[in-house]
Amino acid sequence: MISREVCARVLAKAVSTGADYAEIFAEHSVNHSIAMIANKVENVNDAVVAGAGIRVFKGLRSVMASTVDTTEEGLLRCAEKAADALGQGSAEITIDLRERLFGDIHPIKIVPATVPNAEKVRILKDGYFAAKEYSDCIKQVTGTLLDIDHNILIATSEGLYAQDRQIRTRIAINAVAEKNGETQTGFFGPGRRMGMEMFEHEVNAHDVGVKAAEQAVIMAGAGYCPAGVMPVAIGNGFGGVIFHEACGHSLEASSVAYGTSQFAGKLGQQIANPKVTAIDDGTIPNAWGSINIDDEGTPARRNVLIENGILKTYMIDKFNGRRMGMESTGSARRQDYSYTTTSRMTNTFIAEGPDDNDEIISSMEYGLFAKSMGGGSVNPTTGEFNFAVSEGYIVRNGKICEPVRGASLVGKGSDVIMNIDMVGKNLDLGTGMCGASSGSIPTTVGEPLIRVSKITVGGR
Amino acid sequence: MDFNTFKKAVIAAAEKLGIAEYELYYSSSESTSVDIFRHEINSFSSSVDGGVCFRCLVGGKMGYASTEELSEAQAESIVRRARDNAATLETEDKQFLVSGGEKYAPLDIKPYELPTTEQLIDTALKGQEAIYAADPAVIDGTSAGAESGRTTIAICNSNGLDLSYSNNLAVFYAAPVVYDGKEMSDDFNMKTGSFDKLDINEVVSEAVDAAKSMMNADVAPTGSYPVVFSYKAMTSLLSTFSGIFSSENAQKGLSRLAGKEGQKIAADFITIVDDPFYKDSAMPINFDGEGSPTYCKNVVENGVLKTLLYNLKTAHIAGVKTTGNGSKAGYASSVGIRPFTFYLAPGKLTEDELIAKAGEGVYINDLGGLHAGANAVSGDFSLQSSGYMIEGGKKTRAVKSFTVSGNFYDLLNQITDLSNEVKLPRAFGITAFGSPSVLVKGLTVAGK
Repeated sequence: MISREVCARVLAKAVSTGADYAEIFAEHSVNHSIAMIANKVENVNDAVVAGAGIRVFKGLRSVMASTVDTTEEGLLRCAEKAADALGQGSAEITIDLRERLFGDIHPIKIVPATVPNAEKVRILKDGYFAAKEYSDCIKQVTGTLLDIDHNILIATSEGLYAQDRQIRTRIAINAVAEKNGETQTGFFGPGRRMGMEMFEHEVNAHDVGVKAAEQAVIMAGAGYCPAGVMPVAIGNGFGGVIFHEACGHSLEASSVAYGTSQFAGKLGQQIANPKVTAIDDGTIPNAWGSINIDDEGTPARRNVLIENGILKTYMIDKFNGRRMGMESTGSARRQDYSYTTTSRMTNTFIAEGPDDNDEIISSMEYGLFAKSMGGGSVNPTTGEFNFAVSEGYIVRNGKICEPVRGASLVGKGSDVIMNIDMVGKNLDLGTGMCGASSGSIPTTVGEPLIRVSKITVGGR
Repeated sequence: MDFNTFKKAVIAAAEKLGIAEYELYYSSSESTSVDIFRHEINSFSSSVDGGVCFRCLVGGKMGYASTEELSEAQAESIVRRARDNAATLETEDKQFLVSGGEKYAPLDIKPYELPTTEQLIDTALKGQEAIYAADPAVIDGTSAGAESGRTTIAICNSNGLDLSYSNNLAVFYAAPVVYDGKEMSDDFNMKTGSFDKLDINEVVSEAVDAAKSMMNADVAPTGSYPVVFSYKAMTSLLSTFSGIFSSENAQKGLSRLAGKEGQKIAADFITIVDDPFYKDSAMPINFDGEGSPTYCKNVVENGVLKTLLYNLKTAHIAGVKTTGNGSKAGYASSVGIRPFTFYLAPGKLTEDELIAKAGEGVYINDLGGLHAGANAVSGDFSLQSSGYMIEGGKKTRAVKSFTVSGNFYDLLNQITDLSNEVKLPRAFGITAFGSPSVLVKGLTVAGK
């Protein structure tokens, strides 16, 4: 993308006013998508995203400048802008770049850009029509097949010069069902850090469509979820969004470093139920949120965040790590070159626990089984979170009974992770996009079936 | 290369490849921002981004391709890619490019002078000190910041259309964190506009008061209550469900307002306006995302749905004229539909009168998790809320960590009263939402 020699000259310009660290993040990506609605291919789009962001640090101060002009002149202008904004001074470090190869722990067998649109359309239709034909109640289906070829280059004043190519593929089907004038939706959207081989052995497009349609039909026939405080069992896979929101965001250095996290200053302390072990692992081969190196060039790691309820580590990037006096954990991520990198999650999940899945349900006299979760959000300062239950069932006398719609769960992160009192054995991962200050990034959430002893369920 | 050079290269490439009907859409934004931690600059950023989208009609299909890299190679590549993408499309909806020679309302905007980098830093630092000075409960972690930016949009097409727009925006924000020894609480407040007229202390004190008021707030008791949604909460609902007024969603079976034009869908006194030139808009504009002229219209008038929002494609399907609501979510997006300043028109009561009328109920100041807890198709919502109990017709103790549930379609008929002032919280783009505070008969609140 940009030669080592050019990077060296740009970094030299970036540190010319006394920065103690400088970094170039350059990107050339192609985002390709095919969208279907009303049984037809409605839209095909491909966008080339290309540019560079230059960051300089001096002590606890960071400056970022970005540009779409990646010629040497453009990069030098951008570096000068960053250097000028840092203040006045003279260069204190010299630049000596050595290329480093990290290898690829996420092999790609079929690069999506080499597959014709017609083949992609065939796969998308497989999923689309599986949903459409699932039931007469299905009134509309939308489907998207997305592939992203994200090439990044990172060069830093510490001497690193490295590149990575991140390919991701995702299919998402949204189904709308109508019964007695009531409309409800169902969604399923699995993705992997993989090429088109994802459809050969990991994800069956047809099953994706069926799952989305099934959920829409079940929910269209459901009554409203009752409101109140009750025990809730949360299903595996995307159910792990509860940990992501209730706890994960508050363990990111972007809030911990500033003291504005409910878990700041609690390393080594019991913050969760002893049955909870939670991990952020960017190294899971071909998982949606996986990376080889983070967006500061630090190799991906498996970070045990909480072990048997004890807080072990935070997720840390280089800049916020300075404030905390801690090393990067390979957690620096950004949507693209125009965002300022910060600490984010990769694949974050609650590990399997000691409880039997059947016992989790049978332990509940009256409560909610949240089989599928929608998205959610959190305020990391107060820990107050919310998320939507996209497919829920009432549990009565230890048995899963009728489906209920329109439920949401709210509470405080530090309470809810203490109240996760049963952890089952069917760990699975779910695909998501996570939005925060450094943009929207692919992340995985996950968990086995768990039980929260009490939580506020919003319904009516 | 710059956009104009790139434009020429694209036009030449289109000609060479025999493409006669096409459009080039360009948008870019430059922004500079600074934020403060403790008493010093924490980070400073200066970013430039933007790109070009080329779309063309080939065999009646509209193919799209985009790039941020403005080079000779890309000029030809996007034309080829758009042409090839068009070949994959199956939709039979007729597609259009705006014809040249449309009449556009004069746009009376005077972009204010953007703050210099020094002014940005100075304002942010002053803001931070004002937060610390506002209350002894303010702690580190608090931040103030300032941002300035310039947005440019240009559209040209093979029908001779050649439009451009640019506007400036300056923002100051305050994000205090307060702590009483037991619990932290925070808030975020911002103000856009020229820094000459900016009252830092007003932005700061509103934010600090809001953060303090939620400290140690109780969880609301579960029950069914009359609910007052503040202008901020009602704006959140209106913005989340604004998609139901899109003709595209209606035509695709994703809105229950399909076929309801001319019918009553809301209480008699409900009027909803879409105004591209609204007085409080930060970005008034006289052309839409595909270059059609924009104008002000009542979408709902006295409870009757007067019109959905249309672009050229959906208007053709419905046999009506476009309402000038074609929109692109980003330069690379296909043309969809969005409102401009979309607001619920005010009523007659003061907010205090509205609260008095509620008697015993809940005042919801803020709603959270809108992207998750609200289903834009079914209209159902169950949302994280915070606010106050209403007792004896007055706002009393603060409450949080509860949900309010309902259905937006029903809500339009359940509103019984409106306050007399429309406010636009966080209006900084071409699309903005606003509302007065509203009183709703009875909704379920789930708390403790």
